[in-house]
Amino acid sequence: MKMIQKLKFIFEPKSVAIIGASKTPNKIGNVLLRNFLDTKFPGKVYAVNPKYEEVLGVKCYPSIKKINGPVDCVIIATPAQTVPAILTECAAKKVGGVIILSGGFEEVKRDDLAAQIREIAKKYEMPVVGPNCLGVFNPYTKVDSIFLPMYKLERPKPGGIAFVTQSGAVGSTVVDLTAYYGMGISKFISYGNATVLDESDYLEYLMNDKTTETIILYIEGAKDGRKLLQTMKKVNKIKPIVVLKAGKAAGGQAAARSHTGNIAGSYLAYQAAFKQAKVTEAEGIIEVFDFVKIFEQPRPKGNHIAVITNGGGIGVLATDHIENEGLVLAEFSEKTKNALQEILPEYGNVANPLDLVADAGVEAYAKAIDIMMDEPNIDALIIIVLTQTPPIDERIIHVLTKASDDRRKPIATISIGGTYTEVYRRILESKGVPSYNSPLSAVKAIDKLVKYANYQKQLK
Amino acid sequence: MTIVDDFSLLKKYGFRLLPYFFVKTEDDAVAAAKKIGYPVVLKIVSPEIEHKTDVGGVKIDIKNETVLRHTYRDMMQNVKGKKIDGVLVQKMARKGLELIIGGKKDPQFGHMVIIGLGGIYVEIFRDISARICPLTALDVEEMVAELKVHPLLEGARGKKPINKKALEDLVLRACGFMEKEGIVEMDLNPVVFDDEGCDIVDARFSR
Repeated sequence: MKMIQKLKFIFEPKSVAIIGASKTPNKIGNVLLRNFLDTKFPGKVYAVNPKYEEVLGVKCYPSIKKINGPVDCVIIATPAQTVPAILTECAAKKVGGVIILSGGFEEVKRDDLAAQIREIAKKYEMPVVGPNCLGVFNPYTKVDSIFLPMYKLERPKPGGIAFVTQSGAVGSTVVDLTAYYGMGISKFISYGNATVLDESDYLEYLMNDKTTETIILYIEGAKDGRKLLQTMKKVNKIKPIVVLKAGKAAGGQAAARSHTGNIAGSYLAYQAAFKQAKVTEAEGIIEVFDFVKIFEQPRPKGNHIAVITNGGGIGVLATDHIENEGLVLAEFSEKTKNALQEILPEYGNVANPLDLVADAGVEAYAKAIDIMMDEPNIDALIIIVLTQTPPIDERIIHVLTKASDDRRKPIATISIGGTYTEVYRRILESKGVPSYNSPLSAVKAIDKLVKYANYQKQLK
Repeated sequence: MTIVDDFSLLKKYGFRLLPYFFVKTEDDAVAAAKKIGYPVVLKIVSPEIEHKTDVGGVKIDIKNETVLRHTYRDMMQNVKGKKIDGVLVQKMARKGLELIIGGKKDPQFGHMVIIGLGGIYVEIFRDISARICPLTALDVEEMVAELKVHPLLEGARGKKPINKKALEDLVLRACGFMEKEGIVEMDLNPVVFDDEGCDIVDARFSR
C-alpha cells in the first residue's frame, strides 16, 4: 500500500496511542487524551509515557513496544529530539501512521532531525503528518489530535468539507468557525512542516475520500509548486478546491534586471497556478466560507440568475453585482410570468428581480420559489429575505430549507440585519442553506459556482 | 553576451526579429540603413545603459541619410562618457499595439510567462497576466481575456483586432525557449502587433 493510501489508518483508526500522555492539566498530552475520552472515541485508546502507570484512568505504557495488539494511529507529543527514536519504535511495531504534533524541526533550523524523520518514514513507508502541527480531526471516526480543549474550540459535525491547512492557527479558527456556523466537515488536516507528506499528497488522498465533497486549502508556501499545480488540476476536476493563499505581499526580486522580473513576484506565480488549475481563490477567511457553502449546492447549468426579494433596494444592489460579475438576469417564459402574476398583489409587477413587496408572507415565497424551480430559463436563484417585515416569521426557514434541498437549482439566500436577523441566518446555515449578509458576497459566491460548473461541463 | 548575441540566439529559436545590423561607425550605419530600407531606428548598445530611452539612446522613424547622420552624432553626444559597444540599426516597426511578452523562472513553480501592455510604462500600469509553463493555446486565450486592455487587442475604436495567432505562437515559443536555454528572466518588449502579425522591437534575457 502506498503511503498516501495508508493515511486511512490515521483518519479511520481502530486504535490510537498517545505518546507523551500527561497527568498535568493543560499539557498537550493531557488535553489530547481527555478529548479522546470526552468524545467517546469508539476504538481503543492507549496512553504512553514511562513516567506514569495510568493517566486519566487509562493504563499507561512505558513505550509503544509494550502495547499488546496492533496500533493504527500514533500521536506524538514529546520533545523534538525524542521523536526519531519513537518513530523507529513505531516502525518496528508496524503502526499504520503517525501524527507528530511536536515543534522543533525545520522551523527552528533543525533540518537534521527532520531528515531523520523523513528517512524512517520513507524506509518503512509509514505516513507521517506534521511535525509542528495540529494533526487531524475526523468527525465521522472521532479521531482528534487538535490539542485545544473542546470547551474553548468547538468541533464541527460530520459533513462534506475537507480542510487542509499549513497553519495550525488558521486551521483551529476555521474549525471553530465551521462549528459555530453549524457547517459539517469531512476531514481536517493541519500538516505543519510537511516533512514527509505535503499539501499535494493530502489533496490526492481527499480526491478519493468518499465523505469529502469540497476542499479548502490554506497555504503560505508550497513544498513543491509544480507538484501542487499538477495535483490541484487533477483533484479540482472532480472536487472543487477553494484556496486561500497567505504571504502575498512579497514583491518582485530586488535584483531583477527586466520588467518581468520586477513585476512578477512569487504571488503572481501562485495566482497563475490557481488559474491554470481552475481552483477558486478566496481573498480572506470569511470569503472561504462564502465560497464553500455555495459549493454544497447543485451545479447550475448556466449563468442566468433569478432574484426574489421583499425589499426593492436590496434587489437592485444584487442586480448591480450580478451585472458586474458578468452574470445575466434570467428572462422568464410567459408561463412563469403568468404564474408569478397570480401571487403578486394587484399593483405588483412581474420582473427580475421579482419584488414580492413588504406585504409578502411566507406563502408568497414558497409559491415564487416553486414556480422558478420549474422555469428552465433560470439556472440559479438568489432569495433575499428581509426578516424585519411583519409577515415574515420562522416558517420562512422551512421554505428556504426546502428550496435548498430541492437540488434542481442552486440557491443563495441573503438576509441583512441585526441580532434578530443573524439568529435566522445561523439557523439557516446549520440546515445547510447558504446564507449571506450582503448581496455582494452572495453574488460573488454564485459567480464562483457558475464558473466552476462551466469548467466541469467543458471537461465532458 | 551582447544584444547582438542575444538577438542571434532568439533568431535560432524562430523568433522573428525586425531586420537589424550592428555597426560601430556612422558610415556603416548609413550602409546598413540602405540595405534595410528607410525608415529605420537607431539604438545604442552599451553594457552600462539599462534604459536606453531615458538617456536618448533610441531614435525612431529616421527617414533618410541626412537625418540618420545627424541623429547618429546627436546620440553619441547623449551617451558621452559611457562605454559604448556600437549601434543597432533596425527596420522601423509596424504601427500597432505594443505588448510585452516576458518570462521568468520562479523558485517554486519554475518557468512562467507573462503578457501585458508593453512599452516603457509596463511597471506603472502593471496590466499583466501570467501562467506557468508549459501552457496550451487555451491558456493564452485566457491570459488575453484577463488583461484590462483586452478590448484594445480585440480592435477598439475602429481598429482591426490584433493577430492572436502570432501572439499565441510567441508566448508558446517563449516558454520553450526559456526551458531549453535555462533562462532566468526575459523581456520581449515592446512587441508591436497589428492584424497581420507582429514585430519584436527589443529583447533582453538573462541566464
